[in-house]
Amino acid sequence: MAGAVAVALSLAALPAAAAPPPAPARCPAAMAEEEAPSEGSGWLFSWLPAWCPTSLLHLKEAEDRMLKCIASTYNKRYVYLSNGNKIWTLTFSPDLSHKTPLVLLHGFGGGIGLWALNFEDLCENRTVHAFDLLGFGRSSRPHFDNDAQEAENQFVESIEEWRREVGLEKMILLGHNLGGFLAAAYSLKYPSRVKHLILVEPWGFPERPDNAEQERPIPIWIKALGAILSPFNPLAGLRIAGPFGLSLVQRLRPDFKRKYSSMFDDNTVTEYIYHCNVQTPSGETAFKNMTIPYGWAKRPMLKRISHMDQDIPITVVYGARSCIDGNSGSTIQSLRPNSYVKTIAILGAGHYVYADQPEDFNQRVKDICNSVD
Amino acid sequence: MLDREHGWSVSFAGCGFLGVYHIGAATCLQEHAPHIIRDARHIYGASAGALAGAVLVGGGSLAEACADVLALAKEARKRNLGPLHPSFNVIKIIRDGLMRNLPENTHQLSSGRLCISLTRVSDGKNALISNFNSKEEVVQALICSSFVPIYCGLIPPSFRGVRYVDGGISDNLPHYESKNTITVSPFAGECDICPKGNSANFHEMNVTNTSIQLSLGNLYRLTQALFPPEPKVLGEICEQGYSDALKFLRENGILSDSIYVTLSFTKRSPQEAVQCVDHMNKKTVSETNGAETLNAEVLNKQLKQNPWPLDKSIFESLPPRLRKALQEACKEQSGFYAQFSKLFPMRVMSYLMLPYTLPVESAYSVVLRFVNWFPDIPDDVRWMQEQLCQIAGTVYSRAKSKLFCAFRKDNYASLRKCQTVPSTVEFHSSYCHLKTLHSSADLETWLWDSSYFMHSTMKHASVNIKQHSDLDSCPNFLPNSAESGLEIDFDSSSEKSFQTVPEY
Repeated sequence: MAGAVAVALSLAALPAAAAPPPAPARCPAAMAEEEAPSEGSGWLFSWLPAWCPTSLLHLKEAEDRMLKCIASTYNKRYVYLSNGNKIWTLTFSPDLSHKTPLVLLHGFGGGIGLWALNFEDLCENRTVHAFDLLGFGRSSRPHFDNDAQEAENQFVESIEEWRREVGLEKMILLGHNLGGFLAAAYSLKYPSRVKHLILVEPWGFPERPDNAEQERPIPIWIKALGAILSPFNPLAGLRIAGPFGLSLVQRLRPDFKRKYSSMFDDNTVTEYIYHCNVQTPSGETAFKNMTIPYGWAKRPMLKRISHMDQDIPITVVYGARSCIDGNSGSTIQSLRPNSYVKTIAILGAGHYVYADQPEDFNQRVKDICNSVD
Repeated sequence: MLDREHGWSVSFAGCGFLGVYHIGAATCLQEHAPHIIRDARHIYGASAGALAGAVLVGGGSLAEACADVLALAKEARKRNLGPLHPSFNVIKIIRDGLMRNLPENTHQLSSGRLCISLTRVSDGKNALISNFNSKEEVVQALICSSFVPIYCGLIPPSFRGVRYVDGGISDNLPHYESKNTITVSPFAGECDICPKGNSANFHEMNVTNTSIQLSLGNLYRLTQALFPPEPKVLGEICEQGYSDALKFLRENGILSDSIYVTLSFTKRSPQEAVQCVDHMNKKTVSETNGAETLNAEVLNKQLKQNPWPLDKSIFESLPPRLRKALQEACKEQSGFYAQFSKLFPMRVMSYLMLPYTLPVESAYSVVLRFVNWFPDIPDDVRWMQEQLCQIAGTVYSRAKSKLFCAFRKDNYASLRKCQTVPSTVEFHSSYCHLKTLHSSADLETWLWDSSYFMHSTMKHASVNIKQHSDLDSCPNFLPNSAESGLEIDFDSSSEKSFQTVPEY
């Protein structure tokens, strides 16, 4: 066990070691879907697949199964960024260019596959782009800076560069969880590109309250346990578990299977989530560097949101049952008194609003989009 | 949320001693929005949630239930080994408490409305029981739902002749996925009424339908579920349930604001109170707000000062009866012996003496339990025999199939034939032997893996024999009544109870 922990520690620290493979400068026409397996150097990475039964190929297959049931036509490709990174992108209804396209940013630990229940409805009358955030899913997993601000900037720049490569003038930006945080950060920096900002259960808005000591007293041993676990990446346990990781996901999150039960009655979703997260942690490490225990943002967005361009309308969508505070919406409203801010609560939905109540969610988002153009 | 047309339900999560949270929440619902409980289609519950639901629907007194839970917690904490001490008989205490608290017509009040989640021992599947013929049946179903294996005992209790254990093992929060279900859980997570921790962590785990946020607070709560904290802490949890339910009512516009303000902030001036309402949920961010006035900050401090105040004032928001029960329970035991035994040397002594006192106490409690067990012995012994036979049968069949495989690898067809043919034979024999309930036929059918046939025959048979037993006006719930009638009667009624629960 001690050995496993040591490996995990080095795993948590090591993504830096895996330098991103220099992507060849290919013209967009030749953008191939397949991926040359990036063989990292070092004994650890040659050994890693033996412990965690995963690979980019596994992830690709899992994703294909996630997208299998989608009837609408779409194209998928890598979008190459200037610094050698590539962003895995899905585009639905690409020919409806007269309307502002909707861009979906997934949350922490997710990927484009999780929007499987939403694509078809959302792309009915406008183009929908979804991509794996840098460091997540099938996109490159580069090394992020250890500094929270710098890491955030890397994310934002990757989004901006992606936009430039795809050639969008303006977009409706929808972000869930970490994606919501990044969408807000992007809108702060590039306000002219955002026509409407939709924050779905955004992470990282409120500041950590400093009343920890007045909180209900918690026994020392539990605090100690928390302190021992906090240097690890949030999902390090999944990689430590190795071959048992998949059953761990299935055991701890059986709810995912139920959420997507209308589409799959097997373990497609849990497998997809598993393969998304047992790859080299890159975005995950960046996320960890952007947080302070337990789960709070180092640079909370509510501190900055008042500087956002007044003309960007914001809609906050949250699930009524979610444990993330739904009051961010009203606080944003009070911080931006002269701007449009609307809060929508979706009943019976938890944190994964778009999977818990897909019909409600899709309808609400479509209404918002239709209000734009 | 409260859809008049489709109706709504309330679901209470199983949570052991944290059930006081449900009592707090239920008290709030009963007091401020009685129609939520009165007009609810169903009240679901597992384990402690079922107990709270039964008291709520079945006409019991919540304050009394609260006092009972606290007394139980005190009892569990009294001994050195806590609830693991052999003389701590949790099932008996719960049964006595329920018998005392629930009125005689409780089965009429709760039939069709209270749905108790149980886990069938034989196949580990969930069962929702919603129809009851007598008060004893209600209590017995609740006992089954609360029976945490090993913690509460080794032999699972039976309800209408079928062995069940804790509903939380298979479904801890029945019907949580429905939009029209108000879910209540003492663990911070994705529920309508649950504590909001001071963690922004969105990682969570899902334990048999109960979502539990991964936070230190929840880890602590999990340890408290079976190993109760001090009564005062339980009282705080109860109060938290009350205030969370109040918050839920307010956020959904079920509770009018005026009531809320007078309720929670009677001590403050109305102007302040209004600001308080505004700032209550924003306290986490209010400090960052540049435009914040000094006044609001002062208010914030006031709010922050007592999220969990340890003085008695915390109970003030609770209704008087519940408050009284809590305060009674929190009272320190006075008297010379109580004070004396709390001294440090005395506690060390008691731990040191444990190896000597434990056997004596254990022997005493074993005798007591044996006396209590006496009426159930034939049933339980038979059940254990059955289990043993099953295990032996499994081993036997495994060994047999292995041997078969070894011998007949070349002839697959004949192997198949020999597996299917006897099962049909057993299908008939199980039917014939139904009256001699625990015959080897059961074992053989199991062995041949034709549980489906078994089930269908039972269903057919149950209809016949149910009529028969009705004609004889046989009492349905008697541990020593004719077993065939018992078992079969259960089967049919469980079918019924499944049907009564509408699908959403």
